[in-house]
Amino acid sequence: MGIRKIDMKLCIGCNVCVDVCPLDVIRLNPVSKKAYIKYLRDCQSCFLCEVECPEDAIEVVAVHERRMVTAW
Amino acid sequence: MDYQTHEVRDIDVLVIGGGIAATFAAIKAKEAGARRVVQVDKGTVGKTGNSCFAAGVIHVCFPEDDLDDRLMRLTRAEGYLAQQDLIQDHLQDSYPILEDMRRYGVRLVMNPDGTYGRMAGRGAYPVVMFYSTQLMDALRQHAQAIGVEQVNRLYVSELLAGNGEVSGAVGFHQYSGDFYVFRSRSTVLATGSTYYKGIHPGQRDCTADGFGMAYRIGATLCGGEQNDQPANAMPARVDVGPGMNKWMGEGAVFRNAKGERFMERYSPKLKERSGLPQIIAFFCIEARMGRAPILMDATHLGPENMERLYQMLPLPQREFESIGVVKDGKFQKLVEFCPTGPTTRPGVVVDRSYASRTARLFAAGEACSPSAVVTGLAAAATSGARAGASAARCAHDSNGIVGDNGLVGELRERAFGPLARAGGLEPDHVLLELQEAVIPYDVLLLREGSRMERALKRVETIRDQDLPMLGAYDLHYLRLCHEMRNLVLTAELQLKAAIQRTETRNILREDYPFTDNVNWLKWIMVRKEGDRQKWWTEDIPIERYPLAPKREVELAYLWRVPRDLGIVSIQDGRVQWEFEK
Repeated sequence: MGIRKIDMKLCIGCNVCVDVCPLDVIRLNPVSKKAYIKYLRDCQSCFLCEVECPEDAIEVVAVHERRMVTAW
Repeated sequence: MDYQTHEVRDIDVLVIGGGIAATFAAIKAKEAGARRVVQVDKGTVGKTGNSCFAAGVIHVCFPEDDLDDRLMRLTRAEGYLAQQDLIQDHLQDSYPILEDMRRYGVRLVMNPDGTYGRMAGRGAYPVVMFYSTQLMDALRQHAQAIGVEQVNRLYVSELLAGNGEVSGAVGFHQYSGDFYVFRSRSTVLATGSTYYKGIHPGQRDCTADGFGMAYRIGATLCGGEQNDQPANAMPARVDVGPGMNKWMGEGAVFRNAKGERFMERYSPKLKERSGLPQIIAFFCIEARMGRAPILMDATHLGPENMERLYQMLPLPQREFESIGVVKDGKFQKLVEFCPTGPTTRPGVVVDRSYASRTARLFAAGEACSPSAVVTGLAAAATSGARAGASAARCAHDSNGIVGDNGLVGELRERAFGPLARAGGLEPDHVLLELQEAVIPYDVLLLREGSRMERALKRVETIRDQDLPMLGAYDLHYLRLCHEMRNLVLTAELQLKAAIQRTETRNILREDYPFTDNVNWLKWIMVRKEGDRQKWWTEDIPIERYPLAPKREVELAYLWRVPRDLGIVSIQDGRVQWEFEK
C-alpha cells in the first residue's frame, strides 16, 4: 500500500513531496510538471508527503508496501 | 559515464547526515567559529533518518533531577558497558541543549507558568514533549540562517583518507548523477544506525552508511553486539510508529495471545513502562513459549489521552486512522506489536570530544558506538553539539587540507560500479536475503551460538556472492546498492561481536545465561587493517568510573525473572525451557 495516489487535478507541481520524501519515492514529471510515484516499492508510509502537500493531493495508507520480514 | 566531477574545497567542517546529531554538529561548528560548514544528506536535511519521526519526547536531565541517579540508570541500561564520562557529559549538556532548541525556534510543550511541561513516559523520569516534525524543521532553518551550507540528495559513498587522516568525502547526486569531492579540514559522521529496513516506518533510510564508510578507511569500531536498546518495538503488520513511549505513557498495555497483561508478571513495578531491554526480552520469551502475537491495547484511552496523542504524534495517529485502528477519536482495535530489526551497532569509537581514533574524523549520534551515545534524541543532540565544536577546533588548528594521492578516481569508479552491471542482482533481492538472516528474534535478540553462526554463514555468503553482483538500473538503485553494502557489513560485524560475547548482558543468550563481570567488562573492537579484519577487546576502565558492578558472575537479571516465574531453569550452564521438558 503506502502512497496510493497523487491527484493530478490537485497537484500544482510545487515539488514539496519530492523534497520531503526520505526514500526518493516521488519525482516530478518533466513534461507534465506534476509529481508522480516513481519508486513505489520503497515507500515506508511515513506520511510526510501527505501531511506536507499544500493541496491535499496525496493519499497514503499505512499498510506495508511489501511483505515484511518480521521478528516472528 | 559522463557525469561531471565537482570539487567543493576549503571546507572547515564537513557534516555527513541530516538528523538532529548532524544538524546540531553543523550549528555548533558554526557557533564555534568554523567559517565554512557544509552539511550533506542523502535525503533532505530535517526530513531524513530517525529524528524527524521521533515520537514527541526528549529525555532531558533537568537541574532539579538527580544526575547521579540518572547516570546510574543509563549505565545499568548499558549493562555497565557505558563510557560513563561521556554519559555524564551528555546528562549535564542535555538541559542547556534543550534551552538551545527553544532559542532556535523549536516548539516544546510548556506549562502556563513558562516552565517545561513534563509527563511520564517509559523510564523513571518524566520527559519533555515537542510537536513532531516541527523540531527538525526549526533546526534545519536555524542552521541555514547562520550560514550552514546544506546539500540534499547527495549520497556520500566514501570518506577521503590518506596517511591516517580524513580529508573529506566523496559521493554522487541522486538526481544529476554528478560526482562530488568534498575537501575538509575536519569531518563529522552523523549518519545514524540501522534497523535493516524492517518494520520501522520513517527509518528505512537508516542504513548504517557511516559504519561502512568508517570501517573501510580503517577507523576503529566497537559495540556491534550491544546497545542500551537492543531493538525497538513497533506495530508489526502495518506501517505505524514510532510512538510506543507516548502510547504506553498514556496508559496503553500489552497483551499476549491469551489476553494476559504479561508485563505485570515480568516487571510488576514499571510494567509496560519498563526499559526496552526488558520489553524486548520479555516479548521474545513470550514468543518462544508460543504466546505471540503480542497486542497493544489502547482501546480504553479517553478523550484527554487522545488529544495529547494527536498533538504529539500526528503522523502515527494519522497512520492509525488510515487503516481504521483509530476512528472517531478512539482506538477501535488491538494492534499487533513485535521487535524491530536488531539495533546493536558497530559504531565509531570516540573520546570525550567525540573524536574518533582516526585523525580529523569525528562522530555523533548513533554513528558512535553504543557505549558512547545512548539511544534517543537528547543524546544525539548533545553528542552532535560536542562533535561540531570539537571539529571546529580541529579545523582551526589544522595546517591545511591533506591531499588524497589520486584516490578520487578510484572512489569514483567504485561509486558508479553497480551502474555498469545493469543486469546484475537487484538490491531488493539481496535485502530480503539479509533480512531473513538477521531480523528473526531468535538470532540477535534471543541469542544462541550455533544459531548466530548459521546466520553469519548466510551473511558471509551474501557478502561474497551477492554484493559483487549488485546492479543498478539508475541512480536511485545505485543508492540502494551502496546501502546494501553497508548493511551487509554491519550484519557481519554485529554477528561476529555477538558470537564473541559469551554471556547474557542486556540481551538474552540461551547458551550463556550468566552476566560475567569478572571476564566481560570489556568492549569488543574491530578495525580493518589492509584486507584483514582485526578483532580485539579492551578493558573498560571501570575503576576510573563512578559506578561499578560487583566483580562476580551471576545469573543475568533477564533470565532470573523467567526462572523465578518457573518458565526456564538453568542446567549445565544453559537455559532449559520448562515447556519443552
